[in-house]
Amino acid sequence: MLQQLPVIVMDGILLGLIYAIAGLGLSLVLGIMGIVNVAHSAFIMLGSFFAFELFRRMGVDPIAAFFLSFPVFFALGVLVYRLLITRVERAPQTQGLVAMFGLMVLIENVGTIAWTTDTRVITAAYTNTSVVIGGLRLVHVKLIAGLLALLLITAFWAFLRFTLVGRAIRAMGQNREAATTIGVNVAQLSALMFGLGIACAGAAGVALAMIFPFSPNTQVQWLAWAFLVVILGGLGNVANTLVAGLVVGLIQTACTAFMPFDYVYLVLYVLLAVVLVARREGLSGTVRRTI
Amino acid sequence: MATVAPRLRVTDVSAGYLPGHPVLRGVNLTAEPGRITVILGPNGAGKSTLLKVIAGFLPPLAGAIKLDDADISALPPHRHVQHGIGLLPQGRSAFPDLTVIENIELGGWSIRSDRARLRNAVDAMLTRYPHLRELRNRAAGSLSGGQQRAVEIARMLVPNPSVLLVDEPSVGLSPIISSQVYKELVALKAEGRTILLVDQDVRAAISVADYVYVLNSGKNDIEGDRSAFEGDLGVIVRGWLGV
Repeated sequence: MLQQLPVIVMDGILLGLIYAIAGLGLSLVLGIMGIVNVAHSAFIMLGSFFAFELFRRMGVDPIAAFFLSFPVFFALGVLVYRLLITRVERAPQTQGLVAMFGLMVLIENVGTIAWTTDTRVITAAYTNTSVVIGGLRLVHVKLIAGLLALLLITAFWAFLRFTLVGRAIRAMGQNREAATTIGVNVAQLSALMFGLGIACAGAAGVALAMIFPFSPNTQVQWLAWAFLVVILGGLGNVANTLVAGLVVGLIQTACTAFMPFDYVYLVLYVLLAVVLVARREGLSGTVRRTI
Repeated sequence: MATVAPRLRVTDVSAGYLPGHPVLRGVNLTAEPGRITVILGPNGAGKSTLLKVIAGFLPPLAGAIKLDDADISALPPHRHVQHGIGLLPQGRSAFPDLTVIENIELGGWSIRSDRARLRNAVDAMLTRYPHLRELRNRAAGSLSGGQQRAVEIARMLVPNPSVLLVDEPSVGLSPIISSQVYKELVALKAEGRTILLVDQDVRAAISVADYVYVLNSGKNDIEGDRSAFEGDLGVIVRGWLGV
């Protein structure tokens, strides 16, 4: 069993990176803008079908789809912000939540009409091949999806930490009125942030579709995964979201190796309950009011 | 400050948060360049509301706000900086999770396209407040109240505003730190800036004031230069308290 440990750890890390990007957009939009975007996973699902359609119709490789998804879903996010979020972000808390829930149901139903409930997979040239690195046999597709996720996380972290726009976004999350007094157009920056959150969801959808089978209904399961990562990692912090994603990925692969798959969810949700009871702001984060 | 600061003029301004319930009812005032104009009044007089209206956070129902001849009544709040207006809000407003230097750099958001100007302006602030240079990599939220106030003032000054709107600058500060804040306001006035100060600390505010307006129930009550108020503080405050 110990011989399997390095493979389990590596698999867990790669899977964790993908879970981290699944939760990243949700965490940032919730932490910085205070919007509980329950439709986040519906955009993840759309990202998966975006890659699926590009692959099926035009033979576009999922790696290219990953990079293409970012501008496309960013534009979609900005559109949703302008048409929907601006109408509910200053409304009572429940109204925003209901609006986002409605959007989730709408996207899932449109997805079901467009693609039915059949399960789909993307079989790229490297889906069933593997490589041996340092004595470890790693499946190509997991390695590629994990590295793409790491690239995205690093880019987000660097953007928020080192650019003036990124710092302004963080500032807006900490004190919206003070950000306005220094000249930040918070409406414009909120649209940018929401667009980035949805772009992250779209890219996560592509990465997930490279590894897992999916259908329009799968988004409910992904919503649970994304919230699990957000609750573990706290709000609005890229590094903590990465750690939470890795924790979830490692626990999942470890449990899958040592116990029946059905128990994996049980272990993860017990972990979630323990974190919520012991430290309700997550492993490292803050509690704040949201819409 | 190289250029002459503009005169801020508030004319017949009415404003409120609920329809049919104006908090301000026809307020008039003028803040001259190179002077500290103070607004005093009891709780609920409309002092902070007036500052919100001038800063663009609350649109006036009637009246006009002008910088010299330019009407800024309908200007959105984020565009006031571009017109040379800086606001020091009431309470803590430093971004707690950002470092001191990140806070100060963000003060130059409106001049970010001119990298050299932004860099020079930030350097100027670290020279003006040398203790902030030592704290530059500390999270603003980990600083004392006085240090955070210095960060907020430095951040406000980065784009070199000519008009300063200051709301209750001594709230939550020790008397020693408060007196330093008021000294800094006097120094900023000496640079020729137009300063409008809203304050509850009547004695401290009058000590730095050049001209004082007293609001009561959303209207102009009395006004005059500092000498008119120095001897009558007890009378004024008792009047507010109704005793």
